[in-house]
Amino acid sequence: MTAPLLKVENLRIELTTRDGVAPVIDDLSFELGAGESISFVGESGCGKSMTALGIMGLLPEKVGRVASGSINFAGEELSTATEKRMREIRGNDISMIFQEPMTSLNPVYTVGEQIAEVLRAHQNLSKAAAWASAIELLDAVRIPNAQRRVSDYPFQMSGGQRQRVMIAIALACKPKILIADEPTTALDVTIQAQIFDLLNDMKRQTGAAIIMITHDMGAVAEMAERMIVMYAGRNAEQGPVEQIIERPRHPYSKGLIACVPHIMATLTEERRELTEVAGIVPSLREFGKNRCLFASRCNMVTQKCLDKRPPEVAFEGQQMSACWHAEAV
Amino acid sequence: MSDDPEVLLDVKDLTVRFGVKRGGLFGEPKYLYAVDDISFQIKRGKTLAIVGESGSGKTTAALAVARLVEAYKGTVDLDGTDFLTLEDEDLRQARAKMQFIFQDPYSSLNPRVRAEKIVREPLDNLESGAKEDRQQIVDKLFEAVGLHPEQQRLFPHQFSGGQRQRIGIARALATQPDLIICDEPVSALDVAVQAQILNLLRKLQTDFGLTFLFISHDLGVVQHMCDTIVVMYMGKVVEYADRLSLFNNPLHPYTVALLSAVPSVDKKRRAEMKRILIPGDPPDPLDLPKGCRFANRCPVAIERCKTEQPILNEVALGHQVACHLVDERAVSPLS
Ligand SMILES: Nc1ncnc2c1ncn2[C@@H]1O[C@H](COP(=O)(O)OP(=O)(O)OP(=O)(O)O)[C@@H](O)[C@H]1O
Ligand SMILES: Nc1ncnc2c1ncn2[C@@H]1O[C@H](COP(=O)(O)OP(=O)(O)O)[C@@H](O)[C@H]1O
Ligand code: SF4
Ligand code: SF4
Ligand SMILES: [Mg+2]
Ligand SMILES: [Mg+2]
Repeated sequence: MTAPLLKVENLRIELTTRDGVAPVIDDLSFELGAGESISFVGESGCGKSMTALGIMGLLPEKVGRVASGSINFAGEELSTATEKRMREIRGNDISMIFQEPMTSLNPVYTVGEQIAEVLRAHQNLSKAAAWASAIELLDAVRIPNAQRRVSDYPFQMSGGQRQRVMIAIALACKPKILIADEPTTALDVTIQAQIFDLLNDMKRQTGAAIIMITHDMGAVAEMAERMIVMYAGRNAEQGPVEQIIERPRHPYSKGLIACVPHIMATLTEERRELTEVAGIVPSLREFGKNRCLFASRCNMVTQKCLDKRPPEVAFEGQQMSACWHAEAV
Repeated sequence: MSDDPEVLLDVKDLTVRFGVKRGGLFGEPKYLYAVDDISFQIKRGKTLAIVGESGSGKTTAALAVARLVEAYKGTVDLDGTDFLTLEDEDLRQARAKMQFIFQDPYSSLNPRVRAEKIVREPLDNLESGAKEDRQQIVDKLFEAVGLHPEQQRLFPHQFSGGQRQRIGIARALATQPDLIICDEPVSALDVAVQAQILNLLRKLQTDFGLTFLFISHDLGVVQHMCDTIVVMYMGKVVEYADRLSLFNNPLHPYTVALLSAVPSVDKKRRAEMKRILIPGDPPDPLDLPKGCRFANRCPVAIERCKTEQPILNEVALGHQVACHLVDERAVSPLS
């Protein structure tokens, strides 16, 4: 087996807030192979974005830091890399598409200028060559009339178009890993379908690995080969997407799948009540405690769950669940 | 007025336009037709959903039904009275029969008012019953939506998003309305909390015999909640059908594309579903094409579509479609 492109081991990221220091990411390990796609799922506040920012070296200044563990990218340790080196990595190897396209584009520059700037910073292109490349990229992300739209300002574009510009910028440096943090949450499903299609195409063409963060199991099923279900900063379950959807081994993954009214192949008159997962994600203050953090919402909870953090149990086919009663789920 | 006593809400030819100034100081005032001549009916105790992409006119239609924006044309018949022409006391009484639940549980509640007062306010405004009776109703409402009695004294910021939405629902129920308009009631919530609220809404519907006008862009949620669906595109109704017909036999090319775009956990559906990508963007609402509004993105458009607007046509029992290529055979041109 070849070494994975990205190997995260026992990662712990701490945030310092008014309430003290809390592990927003608590002992997280996973691997990503070249050209592979993996999804992070979970409700908001579970630490999905923090994981992404941790990998990118973009944790909130003075607030967040990698406390222990390792983030290894192609043999190089990123958690201790200098800011200068991280800037290079971000420009050339790992790029990210953020949740809100409007806030991540600069309103006072045209989209062409913004793409060209990235190209020039990382690829030593002349002004004219960068501009030509920017048009090509806009064309590649299927902005109609790229030649003309390259001179548009972000506000002149629709949400879907802005997100496509963000993808163009993220792809400008031909990254080996593309991290997409809820890239379609604010968009209509027809636009989402376009973006997914585009990402899959790009993946095929450039061989980039994709980390997609989402709360939509349907999107996971469509976009990823493996998934990591996160809960309160921890890995709840990990494994091949189809396998987990068919046979989740953690009550939280099971709940996430069952609480959503999915559209099935054929609709019938019957509509059963949605399975409820009572309660909400705990606040950061609860993170890191030595017990199962899902216990207050779990209908399989026993004393053991309250006394000690559950270890990760391995199942056939690379599936892993952090639950004391995983066998019984 | 509808002759069918089963019908609670009968909306006919509803049109809403907004005046938008364009083209300099002396530019002609232009009108944006956000809702353009739409009609639908909801039967008592049933749920009708409006779906469609952002900007298609869903919210505007709902607001016009509730008279929260002014309709330019059309009628809204609520339980036999013409709601849009009512005045003063009649209007106040009729308003109590129609309540709104908003998308954003964070901004739709007054942050300085305690939960109990938020829920009681509609009753106070109506001055109905003695004060103690109103308090009793509030107690019952808190229980009905799954909040604890001691939470009545708290302010909105002391609740989670889902709990805030419960407060909004309790408030909407206070005046014992017949119709509740829900505009994206769960889109701001996490999936697990969405399930809690959706289950609650369905339970309340049964318990109180409520009728829902339900707006959502999440087709999974719509499928679960509604009996009838109106699909809007650029202010127009393009398809109008009961739940099973719409999901199992969508006919309008836009509806087909919309449904095919929904990602699914169902392996079978993923294998069977041919994804129809519709390129490009919807047209400028201030500069609508003469023909079909979907023509520039429609994969099967013909010449006629560019010049002639299709009208809504009943192609099967309870199934209306506005497309030149759909007729009584009820076969989608995309199949
Ligand atoms: N007060 C207003 N003045 C001018 N135009 C408006 C106004 N309110 C809405 N519009 C326009 O009317 C159209 C329909 O808007 P509406 O809010 O009803 O859409 P929607 O279907 O609810 O969309 P979403 O899914 O984004 O909520 C849009 O083009 C919108 O920009
Ligand atoms: N800049 C910050 N300062 C303090 N706490 C933060 C900050 N950013 C995120 N958090 C907290 O970290 C936790 C995880 O957040 P995040 O990674 O954004 O979750 P997700 O992406 O899964 O929704 C949440 O409790 C959130 O409130
Ligand atoms: S460890 Fe216990 S509380 Fe946690 S998910 Fe498993 S059964 Fe539930
Ligand atoms: S009328 Fe023409 S353009 Fe419009 S949906 Fe039908 S086929 Fe497509
Ligand atoms: Mg996030
Ligand atoms: Mg709306």
